[in-house]
Amino acid sequence: MTVAIVLLTLLVGAWLLAVIEAWLTTGRLRPVAPLLAGLSHLGRESILARKPDRLFFETAPVLLLVVAVLGAAVLPLTPDLVIADLATGALFLNAVLAYVLVSLIMAGWGPNGAYAMIGGWRFLGQLIAYSMLIVMPITATAMRAESLLNSVIVESQAGLWNIVYQPLGFVLFFIAAMALAFRSPFDLPTAPGELAGGVDAEYTGVRLTVLRLARLVMLITLSAATTVFFLGGWQGPLLPPWAWSLIKTLAVAVSMLLVGYYLPRIREADLLGWCWKFGIPLALLNILIVGLLILVVP
Amino acid sequence: MSATQQYLLLLGLALGILGAVLSLYGLARSVGPTRQEPGKDVPASAGVLSRAPVWGRYHARYYGYALLFLAFDMEMAYMYPWAVVFKEVGLVALLDMGVFLAILFLGLLYGWSQGALRRQ
Repeated sequence: MTVAIVLLTLLVGAWLLAVIEAWLTTGRLRPVAPLLAGLSHLGRESILARKPDRLFFETAPVLLLVVAVLGAAVLPLTPDLVIADLATGALFLNAVLAYVLVSLIMAGWGPNGAYAMIGGWRFLGQLIAYSMLIVMPITATAMRAESLLNSVIVESQAGLWNIVYQPLGFVLFFIAAMALAFRSPFDLPTAPGELAGGVDAEYTGVRLTVLRLARLVMLITLSAATTVFFLGGWQGPLLPPWAWSLIKTLAVAVSMLLVGYYLPRIREADLLGWCWKFGIPLALLNILIVGLLILVVP
Repeated sequence: MSATQQYLLLLGLALGILGAVLSLYGLARSVGPTRQEPGKDVPASAGVLSRAPVWGRYHARYYGYALLFLAFDMEMAYMYPWAVVFKEVGLVALLDMGVFLAILFLGLLYGWSQGALRRQ
């Protein structure tokens, strides 16, 4: 039952975000368009490149979708509505999200196309940049909660949400989450207009549908993670817990889309430089500040 | 739910998604065959198949970062258990990890001074 509710929420969320994304970029609100596009992809041919690495090519879209859903599976929507509240939930989320890289490298390598290949390897550079900024802020939230259970991390924010307790961590995590979901301005592996679609370039038809769905679900998963780790999860006045989870997750996802809409794409060299010269020192500072706060303020 | 059951559930979820995607592929295939045309399956480039393997087109210029990344990634493996017991152990934990992080951070600064934080 829980599994069905979560999967349905993810599907509806993916549809909603596709509508909002198109609304932002084209200025027209067309609620049925993503459904029609998905259906029409079923009728289109799905071309296999001439000299592919077949295993990699086929695995990449499925792996990305599996990764996105497994990530969502350990995040609690309400105290009860979570597929698996693992004792190592925060760590599991990190472990799962590492496979985004594997999937994108596979998608880049598989079709033996130059643009795809460049997109895939670029994402490896992107991972080296954002990865520490995902794990270090999560560690700081675990320090406060004294647990890696995601539900306990939410409960630890009952008095004060982590966005107030550790604002630095929130900002870093928000930026890194956008880079991890390869949304604009960090859409280096796909880079429309520069790489002819990058890792998307050789995917057509139903495989492309799966890839795009996976990318949308990834955005939801990361927004939900931001909600759980920094925005107090299901907590809030008046409304029931599930409503708060949905509102916060949607707000984070839309703000990510908005930020991406107004910023130009970043260069890989700049991303690496800024993340290592500013991001990682700031993330370490965040851990230190949180550590001192925990010791000083009982 | 015990931990084993939870992991089995997640495994089942992964397999279920795999099954759903495969049935979607089957549905797409059932729409009908597509016409085979020469050149349709050439990856997007100049219209001809690249003679050399395409991985030669990309130079991983971030290897300086990659080496530093290895050190920091190993450090994260120790951070998680440390974070859980941090409040319990108290100041000693902060100092222990502080020394460890300080050494790593000095390594980062040294790498920076030697030009590792540069696209090579």
